[in-house]
Amino acid sequence: MNCSAAKSQLYAYVDGELSPERRHALERHLTGCDGCRRLADLEVAFQEAYVRRFRPDPAPEAVRARVRGVLAGLPGRPAASRRRWRHPVVVGAAALALLALGAALGLGVQSYLGSRRVLVQLAEAAVEQHQRLVREELPADVRGVSPQQAADWFRQRLPFNVQLPDLRTERLTFVGGRIWHLRGVEAAALEYRVDGRYVSLFIIPEEAYTRLGLSDKPRFKTISHRGYDVTIWRSHGAGYALVSEIGGRSCQVCHAEGEPPGTGATGPAHR
Amino acid sequence: MAASAQFEELVLKHLDSLHNYALALTRNARDAEDLLAESLARAYERFASYDRSQDFRPWAFTIMRHLHLDRARHQRSHPEEAWAAGDEDIQPTALAESPLHATPLDPEGLLVRRESVEQVREAIRRLPSPLREVVELRDIEGLSYRQIAAVVGCPLGTVMSRLYRGRNLLRTYLLEAPRCPERKTAGLGDEL
Repeated sequence: MNCSAAKSQLYAYVDGELSPERRHALERHLTGCDGCRRLADLEVAFQEAYVRRFRPDPAPEAVRARVRGVLAGLPGRPAASRRRWRHPVVVGAAALALLALGAALGLGVQSYLGSRRVLVQLAEAAVEQHQRLVREELPADVRGVSPQQAADWFRQRLPFNVQLPDLRTERLTFVGGRIWHLRGVEAAALEYRVDGRYVSLFIIPEEAYTRLGLSDKPRFKTISHRGYDVTIWRSHGAGYALVSEIGGRSCQVCHAEGEPPGTGATGPAHR
Repeated sequence: MAASAQFEELVLKHLDSLHNYALALTRNARDAEDLLAESLARAYERFASYDRSQDFRPWAFTIMRHLHLDRARHQRSHPEEAWAAGDEDIQPTALAESPLHATPLDPEGLLVRRESVEQVREAIRRLPSPLREVVELRDIEGLSYRQIAAVVGCPLGTVMSRLYRGRNLLRTYLLEAPRCPERKTAGLGDEL
């Protein structure tokens, strides 16, 4: 491969969109070409500095109001409008509960804001990995086994105690897992399907999680990124990040349906 | 959960993305709002065909794009009609004349300049429509090349080509833009 051909594939390489054969050919070229290697490194830096920070612009309130009107007028919608209010009420109640919990525990707003940037970066990394798992750009290291067999597999390879929930319901399927390299730290990446939607659970060593400097309050930190919900928390021996598009339903990865998160009854992450 | 409730949940969850794509297609706030509203009604009619295991956005974007094309066909003077038809031979003048689009630009200069994220975002909005569309779908929405190809209705190679040219032109815009007097830190920290 010459430099011209290599440069023409750099964007696709950085995006993780090259086929294995093309990727290997390009990497062979990069190994021996300082100029192209430098371009590739700089492209990665450009993506980290800008592209990963992009978000869709928030839709203006006028647009939101019109969309709410369109949704309200759709045929087949429940006649009562209770449901329309359910989300704000539930979200509001949850927010109040979190605030109350935060106040009770002496949560300082400033300390939370101080760790916000790190939280966003972790969420970005987790969402990117989740997307690559779902797109099957990253093959699973273990697949077609039970969560406990997967946990055994990870424990033999990772220097911390990986515990996986072993819930068995029709709505939850364990797909597989792989080792995730997060800036030099080896972590476990697990893929589930909940109600037909992909959910990823990432488990990182506690010492790496501690180095992030995240406050332990609130215990469950939820952030939205690129249309995904990311919940981050620490439990005994590990840090966790859960990525999904289905909000609270993703908690079924660790909790039986109806069991409130945080009770610790089923999920090893909360023990 | 009823289909209507599922649909509402998905729309509200991805509303920013849907509105953003409508803006990328129409390049006009009022048209974008109309296109979004009309697209939602059409998407709801076809909601039974949506595979719940897949990302909602590419499915909804595809419907929106088809609707946009339908509308453009009825407005023959619509400036987006030519590119929206998917004619890959169209070369935006600015792109064809740029001596810098042949190979990836060295991004070091951009990193040194430390443009703000919003400046880069604004430069994306200035890209010619067919290039802006794929750059937005990839860099703002994070869709895979395959998903973009399905939305835009073109081969994977065309997506790669447009993305390549779009990103190179973006870098040209950024390097040609007046330097921002107020520097902002662009690089990520090393916490992760």
